[in-house]
Amino acid sequence: MTLKLESVTAGYRNRAVFSNLSLPEIPAGALVAVIGPNAVGKSTLLKSIAGLLPISGTMTFAGENLAGLTSHQRTRRVGYLPQPLPQAIPLVAYETVFSACRSARGDWSREETEQAIEEVFDTLGIRQLALRRLSEMSGGQRQMVGLAQVLVRQTPLMLLDEPTSALDLHWQLNVLNAVRDATTHAKSIALVACHDLNLALRYCDQVLVLSPGGQAVLGTPEQVLTPELLARTYGIEARIERCSQGQPIVLADRPLPASVR
Amino acid sequence: MSSVSPAQMTKLGDSAPHTTLASEYRRFVLRRVVCLVALAVVAVVALLVNIASGPSMLGLADVVHGLLNPESIDAGTRVIIEDIRLPYALMAVVVGACLGLAGAEMQTVLNNPLASPFTLGVGAAATLGASLVIAFNISFLGLAAHILLPLSAFVFAAVASLLILILSRSLGASVHAVVLFGIALLFGINAVVGLIQFVADAESVQQIVFWTMGSLARASLDKVLIVALVLAICLPFSLRNAWAMTLLRSGEEQARSLGIRVERLRLTVLMRVSLLTAAAMCFVGEIGFIGLVAPHIARLMLGEDHQFLLPGSALAGAVLLSLSSIASKLLVPGVVLPVGIVTALVGIPLFILLIIGRSRRVAL
Repeated sequence: MTLKLESVTAGYRNRAVFSNLSLPEIPAGALVAVIGPNAVGKSTLLKSIAGLLPISGTMTFAGENLAGLTSHQRTRRVGYLPQPLPQAIPLVAYETVFSACRSARGDWSREETEQAIEEVFDTLGIRQLALRRLSEMSGGQRQMVGLAQVLVRQTPLMLLDEPTSALDLHWQLNVLNAVRDATTHAKSIALVACHDLNLALRYCDQVLVLSPGGQAVLGTPEQVLTPELLARTYGIEARIERCSQGQPIVLADRPLPASVR
Repeated sequence: MSSVSPAQMTKLGDSAPHTTLASEYRRFVLRRVVCLVALAVVAVVALLVNIASGPSMLGLADVVHGLLNPESIDAGTRVIIEDIRLPYALMAVVVGACLGLAGAEMQTVLNNPLASPFTLGVGAAATLGASLVIAFNISFLGLAAHILLPLSAFVFAAVASLLILILSRSLGASVHAVVLFGIALLFGINAVVGLIQFVADAESVQQIVFWTMGSLARASLDKVLIVALVLAICLPFSLRNAWAMTLLRSGEEQARSLGIRVERLRLTVLMRVSLLTAAAMCFVGEIGFIGLVAPHIARLMLGEDHQFLLPGSALAGAVLLSLSSIASKLLVPGVVLPVGIVTALVGIPLFILLIIGRSRRVAL
């Protein structure tokens, strides 16, 4: 079960955000961080794989052309967490997740649905939020509920657009552990757009760097995250050091002047 | 001091380990079912009180006897109940339910708590249709004015909806496109209605103004049946879309990612709202406020799950218009005020009470 993109062009109306993007096969069980500066096309890439934007080119997942799937078939295969948080409305977390299952996993019995919901609330550690209204939750708590809507469906491909943007450190680690578990045990693929390079280094098998100008580099974190690439992509001077436990960490020193970039 | 994460702060509310979330949720749903049944009971009581109230007050027992066993009451009371009060009270229930349901659906698909069936000019179009018949004495196929007037109101409302649908569809049916066209239409139609009033004679202007105040006095059982039929056709379709609308409320992108075809849903709902509004308005005129506030009352009581919100909003609309109808008969002794005038007077205190009650519960 692999994901492959060939000559993909996507964007909005008549403006292409990236053109002719091709990526080598991403294998089953891979957790891939999608990084790059603002407006480079991270969200556009995830949306286009999720089928929410028209594309040209070919996206193949598990041997199937994603563009040829009906929306019903696609929701069984692809789980997408959009960047906006679920709205603060008087809908309780349990029914938010339940309605996602009803819509996307019509093949499950009531018992299977309830079992899956039970598991996802436990995995994410948000059991105590189950009967609380979204309107009475913090942004971070709503983000966890949004994530539960995706994880509960147990799709073989997950696209998470900044899943930790509203979370404190404890919950950032909690979420990435849950996603890591899902990819390891269910052999699903997860593409996670994020800005935290150290989280990417710590949890991801591969990093996809999108640079201004439409270039894309995919490789292991050690291969890809180099001071040169960070300078080219973000316009910063940065070092890759190792912490006391041997874990590589990115230290950003200063922005580079435009002339150097 | 160690930092405490938001979810850790809620550990006090932890569920006992032996109960499953599903069983807790079922208990939660049961409370909502009880609320919905209570609302239905209030609607029936309000219907009976509406039948009982009027210039000659009847006892509730007489009303119940009169409805269940008409032979058991005297002929005069029977005529009052069957020919005058019953159509009037039933019309309040079905029109209120139509407007409540239409309002809830409109607020959901436009993602706007201030939306109502009148937001997009559908109500104004019905008024235009009625005004044309009143002001210019238009005759069509030899139809009598009392048939032509509601028919014209309905046709104009339907055409306005169709126009919004066609124009919005050409721009992708986004919330902004729909609201923009709707509001442009609303102002355009209001200008034409103003023009008609300017050129019409004094008697016609008076009739148009009376129409815009909304009155249940024009009710009859066959008209009630027509509106009830439209409601009976629309409600199952609304409930079929309940899951999709619930997901849409949690976010448009979330809904899309779950396979909901948002544009199609929006257009379908708009069509249904137009039909409900046109049916509700064509016999009774403009009755504002119900479509705006009934969904909020239902939301306060039942939450956002549209399986409960939609029927709850219809019931809240029925209760509100029934209470307004009772108030319209009792506020000024001997005079039945146009019900459109008193809907806000009755609805606002009820609405405020619910908000206060809810904020107290949250504070506790």
